[in-house]
Amino acid sequence: MNPQNINIIIAGAAIALLIAILAPFLASPNPDGLDKNLITLVGGGSEEHAEKIIEEKNLVGYESPFPDYSIEGMDKAGEVLAIVLGTVIMLVLGLGLSSVIKKKNEARKA
Amino acid sequence: MHIGDGQIPIEQAAVYWIAALFFIALSLRWARKEMDESKVPIFAALAAGIFAIQAMNIPIPWGTSGHMLGSVLAAIILGSPFAGILILALVLIVQGFLFGDGGISVMGANILDMGVIASFAGYYTFRAIKNSIGIGKASFIGGWVGIVIGAEAVAIELAIAGTFPLIPAMTWMGIYHAVIGVIGEGLITAIVVTSVMKTRPDLVASSSKVAVAA
Repeated sequence: MNPQNINIIIAGAAIALLIAILAPFLASPNPDGLDKNLITLVGGGSEEHAEKIIEEKNLVGYESPFPDYSIEGMDKAGEVLAIVLGTVIMLVLGLGLSSVIKKKNEARKA
Repeated sequence: MHIGDGQIPIEQAAVYWIAALFFIALSLRWARKEMDESKVPIFAALAAGIFAIQAMNIPIPWGTSGHMLGSVLAAIILGSPFAGILILALVLIVQGFLFGDGGISVMGANILDMGVIASFAGYYTFRAIKNSIGIGKASFIGGWVGIVIGAEAVAIELAIAGTFPLIPAMTWMGIYHAVIGVIGEGLITAIVVTSVMKTRPDLVASSSKVAVAA
């Protein structure tokens, strides 16, 4: 990969990681638009009630390893770590998928 | 606006998954045509940046918050709505499986709303108006349209699911995301597109088309 492209990845990664580190401190803890609708339209104003009704219909029961971008037993540091981890995974996935497709494209055109 | 498991019945969620997979296949076909040396680093940077910015909820009135989607931004920079779909699919897979943000059964619906519908609505709005009002303003409006239409798609799906009554759901999803669309999606899309255009216009696929059209 040429140096210019490496610079784009470094700049992109730096901005993404800066956002990832700041997010737990700056992000609003308020429910998002959809969750707010669940509280008012499903739970009659109660978040617990809404969650109970939805949970009864949840047939998947999947437990994610870092629920709500947190790490069990760790406070803000865990949130920073979780979002940084996700950002790094996205960078690797994005780079991996696009590089593999690019290589195949070049092989086909060659 | 990530739908969670239990909010849409499983058989309806399956239909949205099938639709999402169809569009993911089309996005991969786009990538097989368009992915080259210059797009690889931008694709990776957008994937990481959009994941991070989605963790940053912006407060809005009514005790509510919201985050930008980023699909219209990705579509404008890479020059195709399929870029927005592919990046959002990756983001939503990681969010759903690792962070419990968005359900598994409903992941197809989330990819459809935030990826497919937002990308198409926002990108083609941008394309329709960019030559008359300029790339910056068109990016702002494109971003705004993308998130608002995406949010209305969520409201309609949850009404079909029987979870929400249609009119209040569409009204409030529209109001919340019209605000998030201004302070989040529209502004950030416009700022990123114009600043990348200023420093590296060669990186913005949509800019070359403007030059050709002009």
